[in-house]
Amino acid sequence: MTRSLMTCCAALLLLPAVALADTQIDERHNLAAGGRIELSNVAGKVTVRGWDRNDVQLTGTLSDGLQLRQEKSANRVRWEIEYPRRNNNGGATLVLNVPRSVELLLSTVSASQDISGIDVRRLQADTVSGSLSASGRSGDSKLNTVSGGVIARLQTPKLDVNTVSGRIEAGGGVSGDIGAQTVSGRVEVDAGRVQRLAVETVSGSIDLSAAGLAPGGRINVESVSASVNLRLPRTVSAQLSVNSFSGSINSDAGQVERPRYGPGSHLDTRLGNGDGDIRIQSHSGSVRVRLDR
Amino acid sequence: MSTHEHDSDHDLAARLRALPPERSLPADGWARLSAQLPPREPQAAPVPADNVVALPARSRRRWWLPVGAALAASLALYAVAPWRHAQPDAPVPSTLQLQAAAMTAQYQQAVASLPAGRAPEWQPALHELDESAAQIQAALAQDPRAPHLLGQLKRTYALRLELTRQAAYAAESGLTT
Repeated sequence: MTRSLMTCCAALLLLPAVALADTQIDERHNLAAGGRIELSNVAGKVTVRGWDRNDVQLTGTLSDGLQLRQEKSANRVRWEIEYPRRNNNGGATLVLNVPRSVELLLSTVSASQDISGIDVRRLQADTVSGSLSASGRSGDSKLNTVSGGVIARLQTPKLDVNTVSGRIEAGGGVSGDIGAQTVSGRVEVDAGRVQRLAVETVSGSIDLSAAGLAPGGRINVESVSASVNLRLPRTVSAQLSVNSFSGSINSDAGQVERPRYGPGSHLDTRLGNGDGDIRIQSHSGSVRVRLDR
Repeated sequence: MSTHEHDSDHDLAARLRALPPERSLPADGWARLSAQLPPREPQAAPVPADNVVALPARSRRRWWLPVGAALAASLALYAVAPWRHAQPDAPVPSTLQLQAAAMTAQYQQAVASLPAGRAPEWQPALHELDESAAQIQAALAQDPRAPHLLGQLKRTYALRLELTRQAAYAAESGLTT
């Protein structure tokens, strides 16, 4: 009993020392309109919020041994968390407050990124295994992960998302020019009116929905073994072309045709005035086209 | 120059001058030579030329030369050609398959030249990409005329190379967790 009590006391005595090992940071920088903010961190968490001020602020906690390296100029600020001991001790927990109309470049390895309330000119967020969630407004958005999942609820006219095994979920006002590529990650896009929608995967399933296709717009979907579901309004105007080597084709419009000899099936039909182009190619995944949105 | 050498040259010149002038061949030289040759064996009676076309003697005797050469060349080609063991009904690789094979060879060479970084965050994705590349190649073997599969293979290889580079850099720089 006495021994347990002594152990507890020793632990309690050590707690302040552990807490003191962390470093608190609070950095601010006045940035010119349209300037660039860069933040790089390996592990932990990065939270980004937009605010109605002209300066940018970085606050947070660095684990023992980590250091903040910074480069500042009128048009640019770069913050990088350095890991000199090759041991992250939990990494860094950072909060970045960003003004409007800036360029925002974020890079992490396992640290997750939670971005919301932003209104930026350009957003580029890269992570390897961390999850990535982005909402707000962005003139141009590029989100890349390797195995981390991506949730994009962005009002953006241009979105490009790439993962290997991470799942992609895009919606919340995404429209215009949209690209999504995975290897095995699932892709779900719920878009507004699209000018270009290009989706590629090897084995991740694809679920796409768009409120409309701009005149002369294009939708291009390619899959190896993944299933493809595309949902569009009945009023869409496009030439629809679907090809599959061994997967089934099911469409609300058009007739599926199969060659007399050999495998494969295809469907070619005109939707409305046939203004845009919709092209779906799958090797073995099934394809479903619905016109009921 | 010694006196002895001088005397020898003088003597040689004198003997050359003493040679008789150029002789012309006698007019009946060939006739006299022919008479001295042994008698020839009698030849077969000539075949009438009205129903047979006489071939040149060389063509008749050496007809086997081009045929034999062609046969030998065919056998040699069969022996050294890399597809000599292919089944007669084996499908000819499509252009896309040849392109995929060339791309795969280049990719393997490129990836072998990179250091193998053991950054743990990247390993599942690298494994995933290898499996996906194999899946695409299998699909291409089934459907060798699908250009989108070649595009997928290219994208997969490019991604694999890029992530291999990233993993190596991360392992070297300590940017791993």
